[in-house]
Amino acid sequence: MSLVWGFSLSGQEGLHNRIDDLIRFKVGDVPFSKTADDASFLRRVTLDLTGNIPTPDEVITFLADKSAGKRTKLLNRLISGESFAAHWTERLNVMFLERLDEGKVTQEEWDNFMKETLRGKPLWDDMIRQMIEANGQGASRAAMKFLGKADHHAMTEDIARLLLGMDLTCAKCHDHPSVKEWKQAHYWGLFAYLNQTKQATAKKENKVYLVEGLSSKKVDFESVFDLVKMSTGPKLPAGEEVVIPQYEKGEEYDKPAADGLPAVPKFRPRELLATDLTSKDNELFARNSVNRIWFLLMGRGLSHPLDEMHSKNPPSHPKLLDLLAREFVSHGFDLKWLIREIMMSEVYQRSSRLPNGVPKVEPDSYRVSLPKGLTPEQLLRAVLRATGNVEWAKALEVEPDAEKFDRKGYFTGSNVELPPSLGEIESIFIQTFAHPPGTAEVDFSPGVNKSLFLMNDRLIQHWLKPRTGNLIDRLSKMDAPDSMAKEMYLAVLSRLPEKEEAIWITDYLARNEPRRTAALADLAWALLNSAEFTFNH
Amino acid sequence: MLGALGGLAGFGSLLHPSIAKQIKEKKKQVCLIWLDGGISQYESWHPLPESKFAGPFRSIKTSIPGIHFSELMPNTAKIAHKISVIRTMATKDPNHSTGVPRMQRGDPLDRGVDYPYLGSAVAKLLGPADPELPPYVWIKPGNGGFIHREAGFLDARYGALALGDGRPPVHIHRPDGVTAELDAARNALRQKANERFRAYRNTSDIDAYETSYDMARQLMARKDIFDDEKLDPKDRERYGTHPLGRHVLQARQLLEAGVRFVKVNSYHWDTHGDNFNMSQRLVPQADQPFAALINDLDDRGMLDDTLVVMMSEFGRTPLINSRLGRDHWPDCWSIALAGCGIKRGAIIGDTTKDGAFVNGEGYDVGHLFHTIFSVLGIQSHRQKYRHKGQKLAIAHDDCEPIKEVML
Repeated sequence: MSLVWGFSLSGQEGLHNRIDDLIRFKVGDVPFSKTADDASFLRRVTLDLTGNIPTPDEVITFLADKSAGKRTKLLNRLISGESFAAHWTERLNVMFLERLDEGKVTQEEWDNFMKETLRGKPLWDDMIRQMIEANGQGASRAAMKFLGKADHHAMTEDIARLLLGMDLTCAKCHDHPSVKEWKQAHYWGLFAYLNQTKQATAKKENKVYLVEGLSSKKVDFESVFDLVKMSTGPKLPAGEEVVIPQYEKGEEYDKPAADGLPAVPKFRPRELLATDLTSKDNELFARNSVNRIWFLLMGRGLSHPLDEMHSKNPPSHPKLLDLLAREFVSHGFDLKWLIREIMMSEVYQRSSRLPNGVPKVEPDSYRVSLPKGLTPEQLLRAVLRATGNVEWAKALEVEPDAEKFDRKGYFTGSNVELPPSLGEIESIFIQTFAHPPGTAEVDFSPGVNKSLFLMNDRLIQHWLKPRTGNLIDRLSKMDAPDSMAKEMYLAVLSRLPEKEEAIWITDYLARNEPRRTAALADLAWALLNSAEFTFNH
Repeated sequence: MLGALGGLAGFGSLLHPSIAKQIKEKKKQVCLIWLDGGISQYESWHPLPESKFAGPFRSIKTSIPGIHFSELMPNTAKIAHKISVIRTMATKDPNHSTGVPRMQRGDPLDRGVDYPYLGSAVAKLLGPADPELPPYVWIKPGNGGFIHREAGFLDARYGALALGDGRPPVHIHRPDGVTAELDAARNALRQKANERFRAYRNTSDIDAYETSYDMARQLMARKDIFDDEKLDPKDRERYGTHPLGRHVLQARQLLEAGVRFVKVNSYHWDTHGDNFNMSQRLVPQADQPFAALINDLDDRGMLDDTLVVMMSEFGRTPLINSRLGRDHWPDCWSIALAGCGIKRGAIIGDTTKDGAFVNGEGYDVGHLFHTIFSVLGIQSHRQKYRHKGQKLAIAHDDCEPIKEVML
């Protein structure tokens, strides 16, 4: 593969080729990183699509496969698997719910809804439409978790930020101070779609629904700066204001009140919002959608931060963002199609190592692949798989009469027990590695507490003790240090060791001959704590 | 980098004034002693035994002629000439749930954002005093850990490292069976692995990752300063063996080690019932370590660069209720400040005769935050936070520092 690309377009048709053309076009005749080697590609794709590192066997098989098109084959297999649905449920949960467990839909119900959506052929616009319009009736009931407790301002802010790429928080009280095109009217236009939505309980079945009350007039607002009074009906930032229909008294409703639920008005602006916002004509929605999907795969948005899509913060590649948006729309918002196209591009498949002789490149040039920090869930799964403790974790069972696990005490040291279940271990990882609930998990944020945890936590030490079938057990039963090095690198870093690394392992083991098993744990500990392990690169 | 600057401090006078000032700012430290629930001003700073609202306690002379504190504060009375007391705080909010954050966040008008708590604000505005130590440590009863919500809208890293019951988070300890030598050896392996990975890669995120390990190891190496079990028994006697005494002593140790901001929390000051017995038990627990801290900082030459603040979210009602308690009273109450540009011996505030109300204008949290920021060398009107494209005032636009207590 040539390292230096000219200006000439490749002339090839698939979206992934056009992505590469536009990335190259922006920077001109400069060197790019090589295509990532097979092991790096396998690890990256497996993490991105299934949320885990590959097993040693998967690595060996993939490296041994000499067939053309094995990368595409791998993509196709992983994206149609159940792990894809589970992992992208997790990723989209973090993106759309931000780890807030609000509203009357349980996390489990929502997860099931998302998984069901992500199996087969998920259509992004359908999914989002259901998240906005869900009222508790029918199959999309679980989708109403997105609107949480139906707090009008929280819904307005979340929809603007997460679905349109507009952080309008400060436009609640005044026009955005530095972004001219973000108006206070944008905030209140969205608000007017949502200000009649509320939770209501059906008495007989004792079930909560998200209903809409009667919306008969515009919402009033005024700027805290000049105190000018204004009003607006429902309006999307780039759309027309919806005229609120006026009905004769007694004619306003479709259905009368029943069983504790209020009457259903004829005019239901939230339903309109669901349709209009996700319409293929709404460029803001399409652009925000592809920007977020690009971010999940590439580690940064074409427009970054993700919720600052405005003139003061232009995208790194405006034409590419437009192209992706257009193509996503014309392919019916087919999520898997878009993921596959991005992953088939050279830009996704580049190595994270800089091009030869280039000391540094701008991250938004995409000349080199950006390392992404593992998500808390990816990290836990990767640690369990790397150390060979997956079966151990699955076998954990909480005694029926056991006391509730004291998680706070686990962190202060007053509780010296190991967590009794995989769920509890997950909570401990999330508490340590996730961003605080209610904040976007976008930028890599290392922390002293995170490092201390990976270094010193009881679980990590426990997983590095030999137990039948786990990594340290397997290694300690081997004879040749070379094989140990190979097995350890395959298990932890999903690749074969380089010659120097094998020597380094052999040396350390030789120096620690009397305590070989412990020395193996030292080495595995070092690899687990290394950046190569905790980044997806 | 910061270490190199610190080494120049002795040449401060030769440096450009702005640099000299920067170096001096580096030294400023803060200890906030928070008496949660509200200490009664009548049973502490402002006794007024002749008032119709007085309780059963006498007032005693202090080291300042004509100034009296409650007899429950014998130690602090002896050092009144080293501190300032503002007896005319008038702060509007009578609720714990909103008063605590308001008093600790400064809350410059309702801007629809979560302001950082004072410790996080100072961590952001001044950075760490010692780059090897966390800038903000919070000693509190109960649970500890890394508390990012203190950072409000600032980056989570400005949150507090909380020492629950004076103990560091469990992960600061080497696991059982891992000796210091072994830990060093396996970290050498880790660094080696990282160096290989970092070569030929863009480094900022990877460096940040490595830095978090460096900091983690520094904390581990100095973990004794985070552990109240390691305090000198004689000092413990002087500060008091109750939690607040131990924790204020630990705060001194952390300040000496170079932590920028230490908050010490004490709870259960909400004396709606049985105010007098409770005060008799509680107030000496604040008096003893507060006075010891001021004296120790003064003896060590640290007081002029260390701001000590002891306060609550409000004071307590003049009127004694039917349960012999005092309720919430934000209209006229007292706060103590010392060190770092605060006057020695300024006991200020003109109140009505019975101490119930301020004569004239009182001081609100905005004045307090301007005062605190100003004595720390922060330009409290000019400096702003940047948040989501907005410039946000760090303290109320329409308030000024309390000059009466400032040098």
